[in-house]
Amino acid sequence: MRLLVVEDEVKTGDYLQQGLSEAGFMVTLARNGLDGHHLAMTETFDLLILDVMLPDVGGWRIVQSIRESGCQAPVLFLTARDSVDDRVKGLELGADDYLVKPFAFAELLARVRTLLRRSTAPVLADQITVADLILDLPKHRALRGGRKINLSHKEFCLLELLARRQGEVLPRSLIASQVWDMNFDSDTNVIDVAIRRLRSKIDEGFEPKLIHTVRGMGYKLDVEDE
Amino acid sequence: MAFGFRLARPLSLNNRVMLFVALAISLSLVVIGHLVQKSVEQHFAEQDADELVVISRAVAEALKKTTRSGRSADETLPHAVSGHHGVYYQVWDESGALVYGPDEVVFPPRARFNAPVDAIRAENLVSWHIDDKSYRGAMTQVQIDGRNYLITAAINMDFHMRFLEHFSRNLWLIMALAGGLTILAAWYGVHQGHAPLRALSESIRSVQADQLDMRLNEKAVPMELQPLVASFNQMISRLDDSFTRLSHFSADIAHELRTPLTNLATQTQVGLGQARTLEEYRELLYSNLEEQERLTKMVNDMLWLAQRENGLLKPNWELLDLRQEVEATFEFFEALAEDKKITLAVGGDRVNVMADRSMLRRVISNLLSNALRYTPENETINVTVEGVGNQAQITIENPGQGIPEDHLPKLFDRFYRVDPSRQRQSEGAGLGLAIVKSIIEAHDGNVEVSSEMGTTRFVISLPTHDKKAG
Repeated sequence: MRLLVVEDEVKTGDYLQQGLSEAGFMVTLARNGLDGHHLAMTETFDLLILDVMLPDVGGWRIVQSIRESGCQAPVLFLTARDSVDDRVKGLELGADDYLVKPFAFAELLARVRTLLRRSTAPVLADQITVADLILDLPKHRALRGGRKINLSHKEFCLLELLARRQGEVLPRSLIASQVWDMNFDSDTNVIDVAIRRLRSKIDEGFEPKLIHTVRGMGYKLDVEDE
Repeated sequence: MAFGFRLARPLSLNNRVMLFVALAISLSLVVIGHLVQKSVEQHFAEQDADELVVISRAVAEALKKTTRSGRSADETLPHAVSGHHGVYYQVWDESGALVYGPDEVVFPPRARFNAPVDAIRAENLVSWHIDDKSYRGAMTQVQIDGRNYLITAAINMDFHMRFLEHFSRNLWLIMALAGGLTILAAWYGVHQGHAPLRALSESIRSVQADQLDMRLNEKAVPMELQPLVASFNQMISRLDDSFTRLSHFSADIAHELRTPLTNLATQTQVGLGQARTLEEYRELLYSNLEEQERLTKMVNDMLWLAQRENGLLKPNWELLDLRQEVEATFEFFEALAEDKKITLAVGGDRVNVMADRSMLRRVISNLLSNALRYTPENETINVTVEGVGNQAQITIENPGQGIPEDHLPKLFDRFYRVDPSRQRQSEGAGLGLAIVKSIIEAHDGNVEVSSEMGTTRFVISLPTHDKKAG
C-alpha cells in the first residue's frame, strides 16, 4: 500500500513516515504543498494524508486538483484547527476523514486502515475465525475451542470489532465510538474494564492468548504472542 | 468611540431642563405683563369715560339754561365746565349746524363719531390724534324743549399716554429683570441638583480593576439615583466574579500544565542521566506517553470549551428519546459499574427532546462517571427522566459523602475540585462538569446540583419539543 504524506512540520513528518513505514506501508513524504501537489498528480497512491495548513499550496487545493483529475484515492486531513466550518469544507472538497492535532498515532493508524478497507471491497462473511476462536456473526455467538462463550450484546460487539480488525491496534476512543457510539474522549477507564472482562471470558483457560494490550496505544486481537 | 461622533449627542440634562424652565418663565412673565398693561389701560379708559359723562352732563345742563334764558351759547357754554383741564366740547343742533365749538382745532370731522351713544362707557369711546396730541371723546344726544342737540366731548389723553408709556417701559424692564434672575436661580438650582450625579461619576471613576470588591453606597445618593447605583453595583459584582474566575482559571491552567510538564521533564532527564536497559527506556517512554495523553486530553477539552463558548460548535439537532440515551450510556458504563459493585437504575417517563446526541451522551457520561467515582460499593446510582411542564428533567442521584455546600456554586467552574489536594490520578482534568454546563447551556437548558444527607443530586432541565410521546 502506497501512502503520500504531505506535512511541512519536520518532526511530525518524520515520525509519520517512520510510524507508517513500520506499520507496513510504503510512505512517500512531501515537505511542502508544491511537491505534494506534484507527487499527487503524477504518481498513484492508495491513500493521501494531507496537512490543511501548508505555507504554499494548501491541503484543500491538493484534494481539489486530484479529485478534478479523477483520482478517487481516500484522503485524510490533518489540521490544528477544529471548527465545524473547516470540517464541512474539507469534506465537501472530497476529503474522506479528518483528524485534529494533537492526535494519537494509534488513532491515525486505525483511521488509515479503515479508509483503505473502505476503498477495497468489503468482505461479507458470516463467520470470523482467529485461532480456535470462532465468531458466528448472524447468531451473535462466540466459540472458543469448541465451547460456547456467554457474552453480553456489547461484549460481542467489542469482540467482533477486535476480530474484524485482527492485528490492528485499536485506540480506546475508536473502540468507544464503534461499540458504544460514544464519540468523545471519556476520562474513565470504561474500555479497560470492558476489555478485562472480555479477556477473562475469551482468554482465561485458553492458549494462545488472543487479546493484547498495547501499552499507551490501545488493544488488539491477534494470534501471535509478543 | 468613533460612534460618539457620528451619532448626535442628546441634549445635556442641564440644557434640557433650562430650556423648559426658561420657556415657562418667559411665557408666564409675558402673559402677566400683558394683563397688567391691559388692565391699567382699561382703568384709564374708564376714568376718561367717567369724566366725559360728567362733562357731557354739565354741557347739557348749560345748554338747557342757555335756551331757557335765551342767552347766546357763546356766552354761557365756555364756562359750562369748570375745574377741568384739557377738556373740550362741541354742540350741534338738529339741522347739523355747529352751536358751539372751541377755537382750537381739536375735534376730527363729526363723521368719526358715527351715531350718538346712549350712555358713555369705556368701550364706546373714540380716540384720535391731532397736532401730535391724543384725544378721547364721545357723542351724546340731549333733548331740550323738544329740540335735539348733539354734544361731542373730548379730553386730552397726553398725560395718560405719557404715564402709560413710562409705566410699560418700567413694567417690561422689571419683568425682564425678574425673568433673568429667575432663570439664573433655576439654572443654579438645576446645576446643584446634578451635584450628586457628578459626585457619583467621581466615585465611579475611582473604581480600579484591582478594587472590584468596592461597592457604592446606595443610601448616600438621592432616591432617583438609587436604581443606577444598584445596577452599577451589580455590574461591578459580576465583573468581580468573572475577574476572579478568570484569574483562578489562568492559575489553574498553569498548575494543571505544570504538573505533567514537570513530570515529563524530570523523568526524561533522570532517564537520560545514565545508561539504562532497553526495558527501562521503554518504561520511560510509556510513562511520557501517559503524561502526554493527559495533556492532549486537557488541551482538547479546553479547546472544545473555548469553541463552544465562541459559538463555533453548534448542536446537531435531532429528536431524541432521553431515556433511551440514558440507557445507551448505561451500557457503556455497565462493565465499570459491575466492577465497582454499583447498580445503575433508570426510571421515569419517555420524554423526547431536540438535542445533539453526541453532546447529550457526553453530559450523561460525564455525570455518570462522576457519580461512579464517589459512590460506595453496593449502592445504587438512580437516574430519573421526567417531563415537568414543558421541561424534560434528568435527575442523577448518587449516595456518597456528599459535597459541602460552599463548593456547590463553583462545582461547574473549570478545574474546580472539591478536594484541594487534587488527586490527579483518580479524576480527570476537572473539566468534565464545565463541559456539562457548557453543553446544557447550548441546549437552552439548565443544570443544578444539590447535596444533602449524603446524597448528591444533579438535575438537568431541557426544553421539550414534542410532548406527544411523553
